[in-house]
Amino acid sequence: MIGVVDACFIIDWCRYRRRELLERLFSVLFIHEETLGQLRSEKTITYVSDLLAKGKLRLYPWSHSEEDEYLRLRSEIVVDPRIPSLERPDMLCLIMAKRLNAILLSENIGIHRVIEFHSKYSNVVVWTALETLENIVYKGFLNVHSAEDFLRYVREYEHDTSHIFKSNRLKQSLRRIGLWLRR
Amino acid sequence: MAEKVKPGRELIEKWVREDEEARRIRREKANWEFIEKQPPRIRFALIVFIETGDIYKASHIAGLTIDEFNELRVEAKIPIIT
Repeated sequence: MIGVVDACFIIDWCRYRRRELLERLFSVLFIHEETLGQLRSEKTITYVSDLLAKGKLRLYPWSHSEEDEYLRLRSEIVVDPRIPSLERPDMLCLIMAKRLNAILLSENIGIHRVIEFHSKYSNVVVWTALETLENIVYKGFLNVHSAEDFLRYVREYEHDTSHIFKSNRLKQSLRRIGLWLRR
Repeated sequence: MAEKVKPGRELIEKWVREDEEARRIRREKANWEFIEKQPPRIRFALIVFIETGDIYKASHIAGLTIDEFNELRVEAKIPIIT
């Protein structure tokens, strides 16, 4: 499985006590050079450097045709106050995920909203840490015997990263885990 | 010139409801004592983050990268909500 990481995701995920699970879930992760430029804290830089050194994280070779696609996307999206800032690096990640048919790992609400209304990008699969944890369970990298076990892992993540998953999304995730346990 | 792609009314109404709920949670969880002690620009940036949930906007105001601002956000106990 191939993934693309944006800055919002990686700065959160690197604080998680079980962050090494990400490299077990994905065969390779791609990052844009401009995303790297957004990273400054020691914690994030150390984590990203380790991933790069292991060859788990690779720099994406950005092309002219992708630059054209970025310019097109930017001009298509109407700036609406209900769509939080969509900065260039995060839009580049969306284009990369579409081109690679990869999973985009993003906590950027703006990106999630683009997927909801822009038909050209609606097929891009975007995961937050919640879906990432869920898929780590499905792949057997975290042992879960009940929905409550999964909830404990989610609470760990929320605690480590100062993150809260919306209750309706968490309920849906717990329901999917429950169905998977009964398979 | 590319044609504009706009979200529908129902989607916008859903987002408004989601944003209101997220704002309520951020206000409730924030460590206001820590926020009040910050220099004016940082304090303003943290309050903008509480109100909007927009880490880019807030980090621009603070004059920091989003990674650096995230460290402050964690100290101020303002959750990211997704």
